[in-house]
Amino acid sequence: MKQTLFALSFLAFLPSFSYGQRTGDGKPDLSGIWQVMNTAAWDIQDHNAQKGVPAGQGVVEGNELPYTTAAAAKKKANFDHRVTADPESKCYLPGVPRITYMPFPFQIVQTPAQVTILYEYAHTVRNVFMGTPHLEGQLYWWMGDSRGRWDGDTLVVDVTDFNDETWFDRAGNFHSDALHVVERYTLLDPDHLNYEATIEDPKVFVHPWKMSMILNRHKEKNFRLLEYECFSF
Amino acid sequence: MCSRLFRSLTLAAIVTTLAVVPSTPSAGQASRNRPTIAGCPSVSAKFHPCALAKAKDFSPPRMPDGTPNLQGIWDAPLAMGFQNIEDFPGDSAPGGFGPAITVIVDPADGKVPYFPWARAQRDENIRRFIDPYAQCLPTGVPRQMANFRTRQITQSGNLISIVNEAGGHIYRVVYMDGRPHLGPTFKLWMGDSIGHWDGNTLVIETTNLNGRWWYDSMGHFASDALKVTERLTLVDADTLHYQATMEDPKVYSRPWTIVFPLERIKEKGYEQMEEACHEGDHDAAGFVLGGFQPYVGPRFPQ
Repeated sequence: MKQTLFALSFLAFLPSFSYGQRTGDGKPDLSGIWQVMNTAAWDIQDHNAQKGVPAGQGVVEGNELPYTTAAAAKKKANFDHRVTADPESKCYLPGVPRITYMPFPFQIVQTPAQVTILYEYAHTVRNVFMGTPHLEGQLYWWMGDSRGRWDGDTLVVDVTDFNDETWFDRAGNFHSDALHVVERYTLLDPDHLNYEATIEDPKVFVHPWKMSMILNRHKEKNFRLLEYECFSF
Repeated sequence: MCSRLFRSLTLAAIVTTLAVVPSTPSAGQASRNRPTIAGCPSVSAKFHPCALAKAKDFSPPRMPDGTPNLQGIWDAPLAMGFQNIEDFPGDSAPGGFGPAITVIVDPADGKVPYFPWARAQRDENIRRFIDPYAQCLPTGVPRQMANFRTRQITQSGNLISIVNEAGGHIYRVVYMDGRPHLGPTFKLWMGDSIGHWDGNTLVIETTNLNGRWWYDSMGHFASDALKVTERLTLVDADTLHYQATMEDPKVYSRPWTIVFPLERIKEKGYEQMEEACHEGDHDAAGFVLGGFQPYVGPRFPQ
């Protein structure tokens, strides 16, 4: 009995994950400023260091990307010309999921009907509309049309209606306008989000593939987004 | 897309030799001709006292924490995207915007109280330089609140976000947690915004602006010493009284204040859409053809 009470009193002092981490409507509260701590911005696959490029373990499940033969050749050409061909070098909106793992913080503003994601990079905005269908017809948007829903405690965002002008990284990994991304945001603890993106694009890949990474909460006092107005420099 | 068209119109106002695509009227343009907004005259100088008097008798809807609920998507019908913040006789741009009526309520003459050199700089701006907005650069503050199409206000925890539809992805985060402003090193297009409630009025103080944007298409400007104090007050369920006071001792001889209404977009299910701008924008090339140069900020007298 004494041991049981001791065990219970110990439990009472454990940080309770569910308490205080939920919004008024009972959903996990993802609000805050987040940033990756990886090298996916340079290359989402395993890569060695080069001048100005840190080595990194890839974020792609199984590491290999299932390109079609023609797409594999295009990826190689992209890589060879990456310094000038990368849309990021022109300061274009970077697309999804690339915006998530660029080396800049972003801020989630959460309400029941809409999750807005504000990115420091070029004041990029994503409005994730909750529980509504995609707009009719094909749109060709840089950041796509994002529709969210809750799968238990995971925010699932279905993104379609992309153009074919963005890449996945600075290594030339690319997609077409048939891209379909399903993102999953899951709190692991109050300060870490597990982020998964399933990529489907039958024009470029022979089957869907998945990437995953951890998003870290910025806890520095008075931390705020600044600006990286790419084309103003 | 829509606002790129507006930029084209602005371009044409300045570079009259360039051809212009006819515009379809915006919501703001249509409401320009209404005699009243929220039962008040639709001219800033008269709207200002009338709307504030009405706001005194209005009990706004509230958030769970008791603060007034300003959330929603808002149009700026009188501001017309700030074609010109001062009076402008005749059409301020081809396409039927009509004459601009000043949004400045103080000083009473409706003019920006520039130092003489600064008034000359403003005149030079429209002769020589490209409106930074037309190059897809951020609007700054307060132009964000007057810009074409909509802005969405969201209140969440200790912050209020203001996200624009037009202008090529721009937003502001207003921190309500009592933090101090950023250090003076920081010069931002959208500034550093700190807010608090004064009764039912949201007060936002913005500093750390970079002085590289214009207020409007007509060259009105500030320096990086600018401080903007905005006051947002619900007049009724669907109308905000918007007021902004500008202080910049390097450019103006005294503070000055603008006022205009923001009106709620009541269309059910209205969603802001993506507006890429820099991506594929070719207006700047037209300006260069017209002999205009990119604007890099005011040149102070020696």
